[in-house]
Amino acid sequence: MPYQNSRISEVAELLKKRLEGLENKADILKAVELRALYSEITTLPAEERASFGLEINQLKSELEELVNSHEPDSAKLDHIDVTAPYDVNSPAGKRPQLLSSELGSRHPLMTEMDVILDIFYRMGFDAVESRQIDDDYHMFGSLNFPEDHPARDDYDTFMTEEGLIAPAHTSTMQNRVLKQFKDGLEKGQDIRVVIPGRVFRNEDLDATHEHTFYQLEGVYVGKGIHAGHLIATLKTFLETYYKQDLKVKTQPYYFPFTEPSFEFAISRPESLRKGDNRTEDDWLELLGCGMVHPNVLKEAGIDPEIYTGFAWGVGIDRLVLMKYGIEDIRHFESAKLEFLRQFK
Amino acid sequence: MKISVNWVKQFTDVDIPIDELVEKIGRQLGAVEEVIDVGKKYQGIVVAKVVTCEKHADADKLSVCMIDDGGVTPDVSRNEQGYVQVVCGAPNVREGLNVAWLPPGSTVPNSYDKDPFVLEARELRGVISNGMIASSKELAIGDDHGGIVEIDIEAVPGTDFAKLYELNDYIIDIENKMFTHRPDCFGVLGVAREIAGIQGVEFKSPDWYQSPLDRIKPGKTRLELTVKNEAPELVPRFMAVALADVTIKPSPLIIQSYLSRVGLKPISNIVDVTNYLMMLTGQPIHAYDYDKVKALSREGVTLIARVVKTKEDVDLLNGKTAELENPAIVIATDVQAIGVAGVMGGADTEVGENTKNIILECATFDMYSIRRTSMKNGLFTDAVTRFNKGQSPLQNDVVLEEAVATIQYVSGAHVASDVFDIKSSAVTQLKTVELTAEFVNARLGLSLEPGTMAKLLENVEFSIEIRGDALKATPPYWRTDIEIKEDIVEEIGRLYGFDKLPMVLPKQSITPAKRNLLLSFKSKLRDILSEAGANEVLTYSFVHGKLLDKVGQERGTSFRLSNALSPDLQYYRLSLIPSLLDKVHANIKAGYDEFALYEVNKTHNKPHATDDEGVPKEFTMLALAIAANDKLNKTSAPYYSARKYLDTLAARLGFELKYEPLDAEPDFPITRPYDHTRSALVYEATTNDFIGLIGEFKSSVKKSLKLPSHSAGFELDAEALLKVCRPQKYKALSKYPGTHQDMSLKVSKDMSYHQLYSELQTGLRALADDNLQTELTPLDIYQKGDAKHFTFRLYAVHHQKTLQAVEINDLLDKLAAATNETLGSVRI
Repeated sequence: MPYQNSRISEVAELLKKRLEGLENKADILKAVELRALYSEITTLPAEERASFGLEINQLKSELEELVNSHEPDSAKLDHIDVTAPYDVNSPAGKRPQLLSSELGSRHPLMTEMDVILDIFYRMGFDAVESRQIDDDYHMFGSLNFPEDHPARDDYDTFMTEEGLIAPAHTSTMQNRVLKQFKDGLEKGQDIRVVIPGRVFRNEDLDATHEHTFYQLEGVYVGKGIHAGHLIATLKTFLETYYKQDLKVKTQPYYFPFTEPSFEFAISRPESLRKGDNRTEDDWLELLGCGMVHPNVLKEAGIDPEIYTGFAWGVGIDRLVLMKYGIEDIRHFESAKLEFLRQFK
Repeated sequence: MKISVNWVKQFTDVDIPIDELVEKIGRQLGAVEEVIDVGKKYQGIVVAKVVTCEKHADADKLSVCMIDDGGVTPDVSRNEQGYVQVVCGAPNVREGLNVAWLPPGSTVPNSYDKDPFVLEARELRGVISNGMIASSKELAIGDDHGGIVEIDIEAVPGTDFAKLYELNDYIIDIENKMFTHRPDCFGVLGVAREIAGIQGVEFKSPDWYQSPLDRIKPGKTRLELTVKNEAPELVPRFMAVALADVTIKPSPLIIQSYLSRVGLKPISNIVDVTNYLMMLTGQPIHAYDYDKVKALSREGVTLIARVVKTKEDVDLLNGKTAELENPAIVIATDVQAIGVAGVMGGADTEVGENTKNIILECATFDMYSIRRTSMKNGLFTDAVTRFNKGQSPLQNDVVLEEAVATIQYVSGAHVASDVFDIKSSAVTQLKTVELTAEFVNARLGLSLEPGTMAKLLENVEFSIEIRGDALKATPPYWRTDIEIKEDIVEEIGRLYGFDKLPMVLPKQSITPAKRNLLLSFKSKLRDILSEAGANEVLTYSFVHGKLLDKVGQERGTSFRLSNALSPDLQYYRLSLIPSLLDKVHANIKAGYDEFALYEVNKTHNKPHATDDEGVPKEFTMLALAIAANDKLNKTSAPYYSARKYLDTLAARLGFELKYEPLDAEPDFPITRPYDHTRSALVYEATTNDFIGLIGEFKSSVKKSLKLPSHSAGFELDAEALLKVCRPQKYKALSKYPGTHQDMSLKVSKDMSYHQLYSELQTGLRALADDNLQTELTPLDIYQKGDAKHFTFRLYAVHHQKTLQAVEINDLLDKLAAATNETLGSVRI
């Protein structure tokens, strides 16, 4: 590339020659000569500065392109035998080794999900995993959300261009699960299933909000199942998880797929108060729940006159944040080893 | 939904302290977001009478007033008659006027929440002013700063201002979401009824709300008006009436006080009355300037509810233009659309200072249509919030009548047309729901008597007929949400108190739950890899298009979000490895020199667009990436470091893998990041099931993601992996000692390890008898020039005898001879 300014074409020639000999081609971009050009701008008469500056930038992008075209060619690397367990000529002590098991870690959300699943297995629940992409019918339609209903306002869902949905709740699996286990119901086996999965909400990130998080749905359907069973089941689960007695309360709420619907809160367990000396209850709204709406049962082919049931959806991230006193929910998806290696 | 407690108290008693009320509302009505103490802003403010008012000697615009506060304010300097001197700049201050006086020490209410301005006795151009006389803006009631507030209720000087205008109030903000199915609770009346109900008290709606009182009487002037409903399927009821000779002025201060407390700005008497009734009943009302409607009509004065014909624009009250499409509902004259029905009025027919005559519209619009129009145009108004919950058309007449009566009272207007009431056949009385007490008790776990249930419902104005265990519940006309038996169950449970439900666990058979195989398997994968020193990460399911570009994956094969939060999260990832590689550089920079990151998660791609259910197939994948900082100067190919993890995984899961070299670059999203010359396809050795791939990355990938030169990884189909897992096998121990012997074979450098190894295994199987158990492990691979030397160790044990050295030597000799024949290997 011809440069109008002789000073620049001089440096260009010099650097291109040097580039050939460099092992790490990218080092050329750090050349002192290149940086010196920038500082020369200020010494020039005002009218020359603009074109000079422009040409430096041109030179810089030319060099960048050259660096990129000099990708180290894999052909230059020695051939490897991919069927062999290790490289040729590697002495026994230098063969690849696993890292020390002390460095390894499981993600705390996945570990806690196992703990939670285990509690529900012991309580007799089966587990079915949720989906990460779904359609409007499962996310809304089968759950008694009519189209254009204001209840949809509270679910800021991500949509694909095809109109598919990144589920905002694990309830997206309810209809499938009810259908899958319906046959047992007629044989006198209650439907009791938990549904763990990753869900998505179209909301901005901050220390307490993630657009991507984990939820655990629970569904219980049988004869004579009532709202008291729901509250007792959730209380038992949470007390088992936190290994202590808890105070709980319900607040009436609205979900189209349950009726009545509740917001379920616990008083922050004493062990998790962290130097907070307040005496009154510190209520934490943990989850939404309710009695499965008859339309949802009907949609799955279950007669709501005969069978009743309850369902809930609990955010796993919040349970874990509280358990460990993690200050920022964004750590979970950060892949920071500094965070992860604390969870052996 | 902001609720004024004082407003509620006009309709029902609230005898419990505010804290208890809030707690009760939370437990039995809906979550309370905030409680605001309004009264604290108004402490010390009293009604005072202006006794004298004289021009300030040194300032044209200021007046010096002596005011009478009835002597109630302490610590303030007074003249011999006990009056207090205040300087006032308002044009409307005059002798004999009752005003709101802010004495020294009080805080200007509209500064209370931000930067509290505390008044004192201060000199203004040489004259002492004790505090100030306030405008409605300063009192945080309205925007008017043109003059001081004139007290419009009879009150003696010294009356507590807040009490007079009910500003000694609490505002309870209840989450709107709770009322998604409760149109009535978007009005104070509805919430007051519930507050009575949860206190176990009977509620009685005001007479005018129960049924029309026949109060609308035509006045002296007649105004021509034609009203049509051309969209009865979307406009179940459309009511309108013209009123003549209105006087536009500020509304009574008490109405302004109500509106400001619940967050609305007072505008003028007509607009304020429509807003006041909306906040009271949940029913939006709209007022049009009659003469402006007339000017926009061709023949006479016509108000039509209809759907948009293809496309129409309406200039709105908020200064914007709504671009509407069929089938949005508009209000129109016979010439043009003048308002977006149920959403926002139009600017062309706005009631203003010079309005003389008005048309009042009170209607019901289809909730779904309103929501669509609102979302499409980004118009979120108080009317939309109410209409999209499904207001009852049965309240249009009573609310219109109350609006007419109130407007007559505040503006001197009189009725100038018929009351038009165009109803569709859909407007009928609400259905009675029949159910049994047993149905209710079974769902709540209670054993309430039918009479107890009836009382709870009657308190909130249901009418109930009891016959034995059966209840016939007829909802009051505003409860459009009551349709099925479960709706009644919810009402009874809530009014009774959900906190009184019995907390018992369900009884169930002891059938053990089945563990979910894939979930348990994924957990096992995590255990194995973490014990092997790797770190599990979770990364987002959505990635930046640029990340796909960097690893050579095509954007077109990925599901793209149409409403992504940012370009960083726009595409469903096609494989996991790019997400892991994206996290390598940051960790190296953070000081971690060597690590292995892995993730178990799902991937999706368009080529596998649908599974049986018509939704995209989901792949459960396991990916792992190893990396070591360049400064560690690792000499061995990184491929083998990744392979060490994969071999470990296979060993722990109990199967053998086969690594197949790639002759050419395959064309799958998952293979794109890999350098095919340094990668292998991975199969299970016995079933030949495809599991995934392993390898080093293309140099372009390494460069664009700033990977160290020692980096490699693999990605496997976890479900395929689960399928090839076999239960742990056991071989009986031999009673006889085993022995081992090493053997080196020289081959040409092109011979692969696998070729030789599998040939040796085949040979061993052919040579050994059933009781001989052998194990062949590689000891060393050495290459010099064109020759490669492989050294293996053979361990052998016999189950019926002690093996002699000669026997094993013989075995090796035969093995070497066999491979010499098949592969040309030479024993050395």
